[in-house]
Amino acid sequence: MADIQSKTATTESISRGPIAMQLRDVAVSFHGRTAVRDCTFDIAKNQVTSLIGPSGSGKTTLLRALNRLHDLTPGAKVTGQILLDGVDIYRGNVTVTELRTRVGMVFQRPNPFPTMSIYDNAVSGLRFNGIKKKSLLDEAAESSLRSAALWDSVSSRLKVSASNLSGGEQQRLCIARALALDPEVLLMDEPTSALDPVATLRIEELMTSLKSRVTVVIVTHNMQQAARISDDCAFLLMGEDRAGELIEFDTTEKIFNNPVDSRTLDYTLGRFG
Amino acid sequence: MSDMTELNEPVEDGHLVRDEVRRISKSVHARRVATSRLMMVLCAVALLVAAVPLVMLIAELVKNGLPQLNKAFFTTEPQTPTLIAPNAAGGVSNAIVGSLALTVYASVLAIPLGILVGVYLAESESKLASILRVIAQTMAGAPSILMGLFAFSFIVHDLNIGFSALAGSFALAVLMMPVIIIATEIAVRNVPNSLREAGLALGARNHKVSLRIVLPTALSGIVTGTILAISRAVGETAPVLLVIGGGFINQWRPLDPVSSLPLSIFENAKSQWPAQRLQVWGAALVLVAFVFVLSLTARIWATRKQQVRN
Amino acid sequence: MTLVPTDLHVHDEAVAEFNSATADRTWYHFVLLGAAVLFGIISVGFVGTIFWSSLPTWLHHGVTLLTGKGWSSPNGPFGGLAMIVGTLETSLIALALAVLVGLGTSIAIVFLVPRRLRNIIATLVELLAAVPSVVYGLWGLAVLSPWMAVTVNPWLNSWPFAKVLFGNPGQEFGTSLLLASIVLGIMILPTFVAISREVIAVVPQDLIEASLSLGATRWQVIREVVLPTAKIGLFGATFLALARATGETVAVALVAGGVADAQFHLLYPGTSIAAWIALTFGESQGNEIAALMALGVLLMLLNFGFSMISRALVNRQRKILAIV
Repeated sequence: MADIQSKTATTESISRGPIAMQLRDVAVSFHGRTAVRDCTFDIAKNQVTSLIGPSGSGKTTLLRALNRLHDLTPGAKVTGQILLDGVDIYRGNVTVTELRTRVGMVFQRPNPFPTMSIYDNAVSGLRFNGIKKKSLLDEAAESSLRSAALWDSVSSRLKVSASNLSGGEQQRLCIARALALDPEVLLMDEPTSALDPVATLRIEELMTSLKSRVTVVIVTHNMQQAARISDDCAFLLMGEDRAGELIEFDTTEKIFNNPVDSRTLDYTLGRFG
Repeated sequence: MSDMTELNEPVEDGHLVRDEVRRISKSVHARRVATSRLMMVLCAVALLVAAVPLVMLIAELVKNGLPQLNKAFFTTEPQTPTLIAPNAAGGVSNAIVGSLALTVYASVLAIPLGILVGVYLAESESKLASILRVIAQTMAGAPSILMGLFAFSFIVHDLNIGFSALAGSFALAVLMMPVIIIATEIAVRNVPNSLREAGLALGARNHKVSLRIVLPTALSGIVTGTILAISRAVGETAPVLLVIGGGFINQWRPLDPVSSLPLSIFENAKSQWPAQRLQVWGAALVLVAFVFVLSLTARIWATRKQQVRN
Repeated sequence: MTLVPTDLHVHDEAVAEFNSATADRTWYHFVLLGAAVLFGIISVGFVGTIFWSSLPTWLHHGVTLLTGKGWSSPNGPFGGLAMIVGTLETSLIALALAVLVGLGTSIAIVFLVPRRLRNIIATLVELLAAVPSVVYGLWGLAVLSPWMAVTVNPWLNSWPFAKVLFGNPGQEFGTSLLLASIVLGIMILPTFVAISREVIAVVPQDLIEASLSLGATRWQVIREVVLPTAKIGLFGATFLALARATGETVAVALVAGGVADAQFHLLYPGTSIAAWIALTFGESQGNEIAALMALGVLLMLLNFGFSMISRALVNRQRKILAIV
């Protein structure tokens, strides 16, 4: 345990502004085999935090633990503490459906619901949660589509099937869909990996602009992307037992320019991974 | 970033919406969770309901059928019980011999032709191929009694061959062929093109590639489909009912009238003699066991093929 | 020619390839094509022979066959109303039972059953589908029908409006249209489950996780996302099951009662097209055979129609999911 503290000692030294989520010694295992462990760091409110590291380092596994998406996976087990507003999301007084309205998620491939229209996609989260009032739905649809910078191009065809949109537009619709619930935290799992460079750029701009409204946690393979958009950065690496672990957590500036651990430097310089 | 100002606008009232959404969401939460639980329980109940008939059926089969199975059951011809000897039902050797004969003849008729047609569908892009494909798919789901009507009109009536094993196996062959055709086409299409090209690159001719490379690779898929077709044919009653003639003696020649296991079950299920009604269960058990063995063989063959490929 | 030897070489190869192609045409392709044509002739013969044999009935007694009540062997009239309505009645009730139980079963297999057990259940479903229909018929006749006569039918008749719904034959028949519907339902269940399970299982995991992440409950995920996405394929499975149900012969022949008096209340004995052919064909001659062939034509149209709809729907679902 002392070892963990020394590895991630920098956590304590960052004390800027309020905290959205806290991770304390978080580990995820499947059927007893650890996939990622030793994750202790804070996610700062209204900032972009990126999780970086090579394939197999457990970034996505860790991200999915933050809104309990592992709950339905047989044999999955999350240990340690994950606090949202100081409440343990696994053991505290919070239901899993409520948690997921407060911690939204955007996936690798754009996945709008193919049987629903653009409008229905945007308000699907509200409908799941029992909101039927038309005025509330309309308001949330417009506001979330505006926030996702999609309103101007789709406002005239809200009833059209979402599968008619381009890949980049579909991904922004997925962001709008998550934003409609006005979550406190938005998790993004390599949201631009399936998109072309122009669409990627627009999503990156969007993330920066969303900061005032929501805390963003993003998994990315793309070093430049992490450097461009994130404020804080967590570097994970697969250990010798093939389980991912947190190597270093700090401000993005420090991770990229002056990391404590030499492996972080090697990775950000592209020497492996 | 020209739309930055616009993006920031909704933030001001955003949390008002959030509060209302959270309030409503909380108020209906318990009901949503309860509904979800209830529906998932109902689905589990549906699974159990679906399983009950299977368990009952198998239990009855074993309970009633097993006591019937002895040497005489398999080796003697049936008799009609009489008031003097109400338990003298004999065996079902005629039905077993008849079923075997029908299956063998039907296989001889259906398997080579079915495989050839399947290969043709897989390798030809012609209009004929696409029409035949639709026909095969439609025939595969056609009611089996229609095969009986066809065999009666054509073999028994038009060709004047009469009630015979040949007519029955013709009906069963028409039933088996579409299944074999479809399975063969899928199996041949699944052979990777790279294998075909490798053969052609070595200078082999088209038909040699087809015969020496494609067919052996596709063989396990074809065998699986063929076994399934046979297992379906063995259990069919309706098509043979109209054309094989039945009878109590062991007969197997193509032009003889024959009996079959499904037919003897169908005919004796409503018998007035308890001994015959009981004997029917023995025949049913033998038939189901045979069909299960064939289906499981096909399934094991299919999964083994997948493992080899992986 | 001597100026361009390389071209000549290329030309030779092309000729060789051409020759091999024509050589193929001469026997291998000829055999394949011959088999295909033979199959085509058999199929045309299949439809043509049955239709041709039924022609006398269509020409002289078509209306009677479609709308007439009562079937008097051996000289007619041959009314098919009891069989036509009986077929539709038993198939639709069987379908309702099978879809209700089958949809729940498929959902349970995909979302509730542990992965390791799923293969075993898939095998069981396949075996259930392989049980010959005469065995289901025997079971229905010997086990279910006494139970219906003694327990179920009196209980149903104690319902209010029972006489309107089920009819009250006065005596209890074990074999009835209701029993035929139940046995048919059990028989087509595996067919429906095999396809609906597959259609439900291939709904992308992506969509399921997306809806979970928006706070949906498990049932909401299934109702709002999985079932709508799989909808077309589920309709395809339904029509396939319906096609099977209309064509089932010997089981219905054993448990429906085999009476053609066009009395459609569920607790009365009745019959279906296929069952009636099976029950009467052996004793019939001349005009009666033609009338039974005509019933066969009706059955063929019904079955081909349903299975074509089913195939179109399942193919469309495959395309939709390929895009997703």
